[in-house]
Amino acid sequence: MARVADIIQRESCFQPGSTLCMGCMESIAFQNIGKLTDNGKKTIFALGTFCGEVSTLQYPNPVAWGRGETTPEKWEKSFGVIHHVFESAPGVAEGIRDTADMLAKMGALSGPVQVAALSGDGGALSIGLRTLLMTIHRRVPITIFVLINEIFANTGFQFGPTTSPGSETSTTPVSELVDGNPATPLDYIGLTVAAGAGFVAQVSPAFPKFFMQTVEKALASSETAVVFIPAPCITGWKFGEGETVNLARLSCETGFFPCFVKEKGQKGQIKFVDLDPAKRPPIENFMGPQRRFHHLVKKDSKTDTFCMRPGKEAMMQKIRGWIQNHLDSLNQLT
Amino acid sequence: MTKVETGAGAIYEKAINLEKVRAAHKPLAEKQTVREADGNAAAAYASLQMWRSVIFGGFPITPSTKWLETVAAVVSSGKVGAKQLKLLEAEHAVADYLAGAAAACRDLIVSTATSSVGLDHMAESVRSLGASGLGNILLIDVYRATANYPLCIEGDPSDTLAHRDSGWIQICCRGIQQIYDTILQAPCLGMHPDIMTPVMPGYYGIKDSHKSSRLLLEADRDIHAFQDALIAPSKLPGLINGDTAMGNCVTSNLFQGYKIDQKQRMENVFKVLPKIGKLFEKQFKRPGLEFVEKIRWPKDDAVDLAIVGMGPDMGTAASLTEAMQEKLGIRIGVLAARLLTPFPAGEYSRLLKRAKGVLVVNQAHHYGRGHLGLDITQACYSLDSRPAIVNCFAGMGGAILSDATWEEMIQHTSRAVKTGEKLTPPVVVHEGRIEWQG
Ligand SMILES: Cc1ncc(C[n+]2csc(CCOP(=O)(O)OP(=O)(O)O)c2C)c(N)n1
Ligand code: SF4
Repeated sequence: MARVADIIQRESCFQPGSTLCMGCMESIAFQNIGKLTDNGKKTIFALGTFCGEVSTLQYPNPVAWGRGETTPEKWEKSFGVIHHVFESAPGVAEGIRDTADMLAKMGALSGPVQVAALSGDGGALSIGLRTLLMTIHRRVPITIFVLINEIFANTGFQFGPTTSPGSETSTTPVSELVDGNPATPLDYIGLTVAAGAGFVAQVSPAFPKFFMQTVEKALASSETAVVFIPAPCITGWKFGEGETVNLARLSCETGFFPCFVKEKGQKGQIKFVDLDPAKRPPIENFMGPQRRFHHLVKKDSKTDTFCMRPGKEAMMQKIRGWIQNHLDSLNQLT
Repeated sequence: MTKVETGAGAIYEKAINLEKVRAAHKPLAEKQTVREADGNAAAAYASLQMWRSVIFGGFPITPSTKWLETVAAVVSSGKVGAKQLKLLEAEHAVADYLAGAAAACRDLIVSTATSSVGLDHMAESVRSLGASGLGNILLIDVYRATANYPLCIEGDPSDTLAHRDSGWIQICCRGIQQIYDTILQAPCLGMHPDIMTPVMPGYYGIKDSHKSSRLLLEADRDIHAFQDALIAPSKLPGLINGDTAMGNCVTSNLFQGYKIDQKQRMENVFKVLPKIGKLFEKQFKRPGLEFVEKIRWPKDDAVDLAIVGMGPDMGTAASLTEAMQEKLGIRIGVLAARLLTPFPAGEYSRLLKRAKGVLVVNQAHHYGRGHLGLDITQACYSLDSRPAIVNCFAGMGGAILSDATWEEMIQHTSRAVKTGEKLTPPVVVHEGRIEWQG
């Protein structure tokens, strides 16, 4: 395990110049993943269509991917990236992986190659769930990163299968009849574990050491590694500047997005969140700063704290119930 | 390691040693051999005999399944050395997988076969790949009616014709030997540096995919010599040997530039294809790729009535022409379409300049005059003396084109020539009768 202090000195394959929103967690995640891939192996990423693609591969803007201003002198530092279609990053990565493995088998490859797929949660868990699960099922040794921002951000913040209950999205508007999204999210961690992934984790740059150590392990996994990265979306979640990392931390501590890691054959671990609801910060603290929850939570001007709006017990109870159920089911894996 | 900068990033020249790939190939045929094979097996053998062909993907659908089964059998026997056949969960996944493999190393050939709704299931990826510049992908389309309602598993080119704008070079084959020969030449065309466009060779399901006949299997060594003379290492980086980005986004003011480039690469097929065909013919003493197969055609193009169609039924047409010529007292010529996309309108226009009538046989459902009908009409538009163009639909869903059907279509065309009508309403002909008129 490399030291975090050393990792941050490395050359990232994600450079400044993307058009991701200011304050987008994806940018922080990519910079750090990029550093972790500077490990002596040639790196290839397959991207789905998502903010992390359209805002980083837009020509003639500088392509944000790549190590530095010029192409590296050494092949093992070089970086290849492909965007094919919305939902297929794991499948494309599988083709790359197999090709590299076949070349290696023939003695035709001059060094090791690491392959990762990156998509949004819509790409991976909605339209691309089949590919995701089947790639895992085939035990393809790639690392799959899924950026979880709960919505189809790129098309204007629509509801997706990971949208939190009660959240207002552009297709689950709040009205007198409904309090935003009525559904509870897909248990993507449970699904990927059940599909047989060699390594499943949920990490956040808000917990940098855990993030670095976990991603490093994922990249070294001999089977499919799946890394979910909850990514507060400043524009879609509608929160103020400077809140990104704070909200990412709270999203874990309140139980919305528990940090988690499980290697095949070993017990999983839930991190940075207490299983006892009484010991967790109130969910209002996470929801309050986001306008997508304003119909449910408001700031009490007297106490300067976030609290539930009157009459919203049912939806708040639904959210708490979902969080507890999800934590309990994750706990079964620990 | 030497680094070479290109317009699309750097290539690290020694990252992949292609000589090792070549050395890992074991021959399926040490010398030229005669085999009994159906169309699917012939297509599979061709796919397996190329040393660059290392990665295969597949998902079963009738009538292309036997290609997959044959590749599976040969790969698992180890006869052709180290090859990878990936059995994926759906056709869309196959196309995505091939996209990754083809982009990983532009010097390898990756292939699959599919049919009908299988091709439609891939559509999103197929259309993206058509524009990708990845000319090292072979998608063998075993023609079958599409779409369902009703489901029909027999040979009908509506699947391939629905993808005429998907950006692929499309070549139609008829007969087992031609299927084999076409697949051997296809990557030379697709991977040519001026073309870099994936190729979709196709043949009729059931009528050719399931019909067995004699196949001359060439020695792998000779196939390699032929391909090596035409395929050079890619001048653009792949994901493995390069520092590069593929599949960017652009805004509208740049988009058209990409499309011009795509169009130009496709146009270059007209220049390169005949050269490949001639080299093939020189080496293997059989006809190589050509725009149009002149099954029965005079050197001076002097025909009164030209029959244009696709696939194995054109052989039946040719066998009937002598009797029909005598009966009607006219000269009849028969052309089978080979290159579907890009459509060689110029070639048809040259060939049809002396015809008085053209019978276009469309075997795929179309609301207008038929896919082939429209293209042939366009090809004849600039002629000084335009022939009467008669569009018949026949053989849809793989129906048999009986002698009586051919006779009726020919009679129908010669009636139109007599009346002087230049463009008659399309008709559907079955078992010797006009069943419907547009
Ligand atoms: C087949 C297909 N359907 C729909 C789209 C439109 N589309 C592009 S990106 C996107 C949303 C992506 O959502 P997600 O994967 O969650 O990533 P995010 O935008 O949130 O980063 C959609 C719906 C598409 N590109 N392809
Ligand atoms: S919309 Fe959201 S996910 Fe997309 S770039 Fe902006 S902050 Fe990031």
